[in-house]
Amino acid sequence: MNSMSRRQVLATIGGGAALMATAAACKSSGSSAAAGGSSTGDVSFWTLVDPTNTVQQAEVTAFNASGPGKVTLSTIATAGYLDKIRTAMGSSAMPGLFFSWGGGSLGDYVKAGKLVELDPALKTHFLASPLQAGIVDGKFVGVPCRGTQPVFVFYNKKLFTAAGVQPPTTWSELTALVKTFKAKGITPFALAGSGTSSWTELMWVEYLVDRVAGPGLFQKLAAGDWSQWKDPAVLQAAEMITELISSGAFGDKFGSVNYGAGGTSTLVATGRAAMQLMGSWDYATLAGIDPAFAANDLGYVAFPSVEGGKGDIANVVGNPTNYISMTTAAARTTAADFLKSTYSDAYVQGLVKMGEIPVTTTAQQALSAASDPAYANFQFDLVSKAPAFTQSWDQALGSTLATPMLTAIQKLFNGQSSPQQFVSAVLAIQS
Amino acid sequence: MRNRPNYLAGFAALVWLAVIGVPLYALLNTAAQPQTSYTDGGPLGLPSSLTFDNVLTVVRSGFLGYLWNTILVAAATVAIVLALCVPISYAVVRGRGWINRGVFRLFLLGLAIPSQAVIIPLFLIVNKLGLYDTLWGVILPTAAFSMPVSVLVISGGMREISGDLYEAMALDGAAPRRVLRELVVPLSRSGIATAGVFAALQAWNGFLFPLIMTQSEGTKLATLGLYNFVSEYGANVPALLAAVLMSAIPILAVYLFARRSLVNGLMGVGGK
Amino acid sequence: MASLTGVRVERPASAVRRAAPSGGRPGVAWAVPGLLFFAVFALVPMAGVVYLSLSHWDGLSSPQFIGLRNWTRFFGDGQVVQATVITGVLMLGNIAVQAPISILLGVWSAGYQRNRAVLSAVFFLPLLLSTAATAVMWRQLLDPNFGLPAKISWLFGGNANVLGSQEGSIAALVAVTSWQFIPFHTLLYQGAARTIPKSLYEAAEIDGAGRVRAFFSITLPQLRNTMVTSTTFMVVGGLTAFDIVLLLTNGGPGTDTTTLPFQMYQTAFMTYDFGYASAIATFLLLLATGASLLLVKLTGYQRMTGTLEGM
Repeated sequence: MNSMSRRQVLATIGGGAALMATAAACKSSGSSAAAGGSSTGDVSFWTLVDPTNTVQQAEVTAFNASGPGKVTLSTIATAGYLDKIRTAMGSSAMPGLFFSWGGGSLGDYVKAGKLVELDPALKTHFLASPLQAGIVDGKFVGVPCRGTQPVFVFYNKKLFTAAGVQPPTTWSELTALVKTFKAKGITPFALAGSGTSSWTELMWVEYLVDRVAGPGLFQKLAAGDWSQWKDPAVLQAAEMITELISSGAFGDKFGSVNYGAGGTSTLVATGRAAMQLMGSWDYATLAGIDPAFAANDLGYVAFPSVEGGKGDIANVVGNPTNYISMTTAAARTTAADFLKSTYSDAYVQGLVKMGEIPVTTTAQQALSAASDPAYANFQFDLVSKAPAFTQSWDQALGSTLATPMLTAIQKLFNGQSSPQQFVSAVLAIQS
Repeated sequence: MRNRPNYLAGFAALVWLAVIGVPLYALLNTAAQPQTSYTDGGPLGLPSSLTFDNVLTVVRSGFLGYLWNTILVAAATVAIVLALCVPISYAVVRGRGWINRGVFRLFLLGLAIPSQAVIIPLFLIVNKLGLYDTLWGVILPTAAFSMPVSVLVISGGMREISGDLYEAMALDGAAPRRVLRELVVPLSRSGIATAGVFAALQAWNGFLFPLIMTQSEGTKLATLGLYNFVSEYGANVPALLAAVLMSAIPILAVYLFARRSLVNGLMGVGGK
Repeated sequence: MASLTGVRVERPASAVRRAAPSGGRPGVAWAVPGLLFFAVFALVPMAGVVYLSLSHWDGLSSPQFIGLRNWTRFFGDGQVVQATVITGVLMLGNIAVQAPISILLGVWSAGYQRNRAVLSAVFFLPLLLSTAATAVMWRQLLDPNFGLPAKISWLFGGNANVLGSQEGSIAALVAVTSWQFIPFHTLLYQGAARTIPKSLYEAAEIDGAGRVRAFFSITLPQLRNTMVTSTTFMVVGGLTAFDIVLLLTNGGPGTDTTTLPFQMYQTAFMTYDFGYASAIATFLLLLATGASLLLVKLTGYQRMTGTLEGM
């Protein structure tokens, strides 16, 4: 009995090859990414999934109604956003505009020549310090497109009143508060210490280094001087953290707590923890958990100063803002025109309604329309009066350096590294 | 067979039921409560108040469309996988010489290819074929990566067919095509069904391929939809768990509906 | 059906010249379409990865060929050694937990009693959740303040800080992976157990063999092929799975659960060192293939014989 004849075998292979060749010949260009040819063509704009998408979409719709070029907004799941951008850059599927954190996260793209410098006239519409992280290697490549997200201390007012204490303004006050709350069986600080949330631990390091050494240390680090980690201020900050942990400031279970699972904010809202060092977005999280708490019993205060330290208590750490960058795949005219909407009144007001604090020069007037004007103005004052606004280190340094840095910080917090070992580990990242 | 009930086995089965059931109950429980009070009773308590809001939140994010896309992708993946793997397994089990050993080893190798390592070359290939941001751009790689497991499972089922039955058909002058259709496929139903289930689950579970190969709303899949709720800065836990639940509902429906034929398919040949 | 002679006469001359394999066996052509498809979407990209392991690439500019430098770095990397150990521990833990439970459950649910059918339907449910969904659900359930460790602390030995230690994290990873995949392996064993001829058990009963004896002398040997398949999946799964690690522990605390596949993902997509990541990937591929081939050879699986041959 014969199986398939030789002719049939050849036909199958030939057919398969022909199919692939046809498919390859029929390749279409990536969806809506104009190959930079027509400058008034369409532009694809990629951004994160997040509540402000509605505001962005409204802006896109309004823009599309007005001019020849069209912008298409694609919202990408946050967890895979950076992977997707990385994979797409350098292929025909590269977006024309995309959302970023500025700083080091854009460094590789600038070096590879993928980004287009933006019109300097845009800069006049924004506050000075948030613009900084949009300037990489001296090139203006990111225009602010979101609110500012400073990091500060949130606290449960009810617990403080019951204990008869005030929020801390100095480090010794903070350590005293730790003792007070610990004695009452309340976790002084909620901390999401799981490996999946180690950026929350980074915030402590960022502020302590700032308060001890001032903002210059990190500025030098971010500019490329990795030996700054040898500065005694870093070791001192690490030692302060170790002391804080052994005094029970974070409780004993923080290693399993994940921020995204509501692990920490729920503790504060339900009165099981007194304070949390977190970014301003936590207000929205708390409001989701307990709106009454967020409206009435939530207090917020700047990170305390450290006695004998060089850092100003008015210095702020956090996300100055988020940025939109333009790539070489964008239709230039359309994209440039669209970027002007980042400071339009409609956009600013839309952001304010979502609880964001925009960083345009016109923002302050818009804040009275915020759902919690007191909170909005607190943040705006904090940011506009800050002598220095240090960007979150993981964004400023870029993922390649930040990933091992976060691992080293993790080990410091869960006791696997001593402060000295921590410093050695971080130094070894770039030797 | 014995009539005396096996108490030990029964007890063990109940323990396992608790192991499966408790987390699933916690899932259902939390997804049905509002964000403001889900922590009151804890994951295992009775819900203090029930709400449908979380489901609505998930639906409003476009989840139903994502589910439909995922169903299409799963169906196409299963079809391709079975269409290609049944003949391959047949050739592997019954073929002579180098096919038998070489192809089998090739698929063993394929079993171990980590998808996240090949994702970039794969992306470049998919893009070159013009399949970027289409469902086919997800279906084809997913099907390819499900093939090794399917070949392994289906050939496992096929090898149990005794040589006598083949001899009988050979004497009857049957061509391989007929042998496949009348003898091999019916008798290896269990392996084929299992492979189909696995391929469907691969398509259902897939995150990396949909993430990299699609971008627009129209091609989004349910796993990406789930990730809409896994945001670094957000914490709407009940909505997140409602999305988890909803991502399983279509496949649960298929499972309940097809369970009888699935179980029958898995019965294979009982008692020779 | 036409006779042998009749069929031959109809075929074109070129086919007649070829020696016909006997017994209606399938030839190469049966495997070709599938192989082509697999080659395009799996083998070619993998070849690309092997090539990348000899290059330096950040995903943006062109890859630069650097020869074996990634490989010398790989074999001198202490982190790789630690990751391999952790991967091994997790894999063995998974096999030790999943194999016995799946076999027992599979054999049990192969029975035809009514309640067994209902219960095995429930047992199947975890497999319906995607890995991401399962990991997300368990991340929630393992919260030390609001999750299961807070409510049923006796099960966790009074230590609610499950993910805060290496032992706890590894145990959690094994538990979650097992919870999700035992249904799959149970399915394999259930299907196989149902093909075991009743005659074997009847003969054993006549000989006076007890339930336990029958299990070890009849059931297990008959499940031999399935055990090979199932263990192969577990071995390969252990060498390629990383998403549960990513979502539950992110390789932490510190690097306590950084498995080799996770390190590969991290190297590729967090530190953007695709060349080195490709070296790790190639190594994993060779390891997994080697392990599968070894398993197959040791158990004679490749002889393609059934478990009932010779009975």
